[in-house]
Amino acid sequence: MSSFDAALDLLRRLDPIKIEEHLGQLIQLDPSLAEDLLASVDTPLQVKKDPNAAQKEFLACDYNRDIDSHRSPWSNKYVPALSAADLEESPFPTDSVRRMEELANDSFDIYRDLYYEGGVSSVYMWDLGDDTEDFAGAVLLKKGGQSHSSWDAIHVFEAGQNDDTRQWDYRVTTTIILHLDSGSEMRLSGNLTRQTEKSVAKPVSVAEGSDAYKVWHISNLGSLVEDVESQMRNQLEVVYFDKSRDIYRELRDQTQVSSSNTRSAHEDVVKGLQGM
Amino acid sequence: MPSKLEDIIHSIIASAPSGEIQDVYKDLKILAGDEAEEAISDAIAQYNVSNLIPISLSGKSIIISEFNKEGSKFFDPVSSVQFSVDHLNRKALDVEKCDKQLGNNERKLYDDLESYASKHFCGDVSYAVYPRNEDTHEVVVVIVSTKYSPGNFWNGHWKSIYRYNMQTEHLVGTIDINVHYFEDGNVSFKCCKEVEDGKAPNAILAIKKLENDLENEISASFTNLNERQFKLLRRRLPVTRSKINWGKGIGTYRLGKNSAESQFN
Repeated sequence: MSSFDAALDLLRRLDPIKIEEHLGQLIQLDPSLAEDLLASVDTPLQVKKDPNAAQKEFLACDYNRDIDSHRSPWSNKYVPALSAADLEESPFPTDSVRRMEELANDSFDIYRDLYYEGGVSSVYMWDLGDDTEDFAGAVLLKKGGQSHSSWDAIHVFEAGQNDDTRQWDYRVTTTIILHLDSGSEMRLSGNLTRQTEKSVAKPVSVAEGSDAYKVWHISNLGSLVEDVESQMRNQLEVVYFDKSRDIYRELRDQTQVSSSNTRSAHEDVVKGLQGM
Repeated sequence: MPSKLEDIIHSIIASAPSGEIQDVYKDLKILAGDEAEEAISDAIAQYNVSNLIPISLSGKSIIISEFNKEGSKFFDPVSSVQFSVDHLNRKALDVEKCDKQLGNNERKLYDDLESYASKHFCGDVSYAVYPRNEDTHEVVVVIVSTKYSPGNFWNGHWKSIYRYNMQTEHLVGTIDINVHYFEDGNVSFKCCKEVEDGKAPNAILAIKKLENDLENEISASFTNLNERQFKLLRRRLPVTRSKINWGKGIGTYRLGKNSAESQFN
């Protein structure tokens, strides 16, 4: 097993509420893993405010980070501002991808409002090279704050065209980090990850590069994210509530005692009857 | 630097589920190298004692803890033996007779405990009563129930520790439950509660009541977390009760909301 695999194995075993602390410790143990681990381990999203967009909140993670600043999807500016020299090296999406990113942020802001009734959403996109229309990105949603519970959804996707089938293929890796805390002695916390793919035939009547084509991509991604989140919401409910309770009952179960007591009482009655 | 490495290793081991220590040991050796072996072994030994890990002693399962530790050895007052421990493989070594034993009252407590624990705990259950401290008149009672099912991606660990004053009949304890599920993710259920009974003529009966009460509280907590907190985070469907109509018309949801809001303003 490689060091990277060993680190990932540890992170799915150790207390998930301490994932950020343990991630930092593993990087201290083997600094050469830093870049790969930061890129592949999802941690709870940070909320930042964009001073260039009326302090509107956005989500900060490794996908929009440069040095210690994060690019806001609302203004396309780094917060806190980077020096002119740093900015020359900073990643920005191409004009075409940025246009799609803006449209996607509008749509997912509506999605967030309808499903989360609060919270924060951010979409980040980047191109995958100069000679391709393929692109990638991250759709992020966070709800939390009230009481001690929080939900972080991280969808990282790649969209690529398949010339043979005249389709666009979308591949999404989704991680949902869910923390539920009774505020007293009990908590349920952790994360689940799932990969999903979807292919859609290219539209014939829409001009490539147009806003309508970008909106078409966002619709495909949007309904994919909507479906995955709904499925994972069900899966989280099953794992957090039913599964945890089932495992608990493998440790201690007072109801089982009463049923076995009833059974032995019943057997006594049967024995008594047979003895008569 | 060495003390820093030890801190990291202790913190990682302390965060591991009890059924997965062997896996964590292997991973850590890959990451930290053979020179960390001693630090990892020390951390596991400490982990086993503070988590009351049962070890195997001639076919029986015996808990090790700070309460039956003397120097580098542990003792079992029921069978009056002492032994050292292979902490990684959870086995007793160098078993020999010793003079530790339970007094009559403690023996009675142990028999009651045995009857209670074997009925109410369906996991691999271990339990112990440790001899009374002559100064404080306290005996320590512990119960550990584990169920490891790594093939099905889950492990569970229950531990409860009580101090019972045989003169004042005061009972105080901590119940600690840890469930880990790790298929396609990493989900942990934890519950830790301090419990107390100011006057418990029958210690084991009081423990049974405290533990049944906690089990009922947990059940209510699950329902509350699901029906209140979880539901508030993300809806199953939007208020419209149908999935979103994506595309350039999506803005009408916002228009609809604004006009609905303006009707009330």
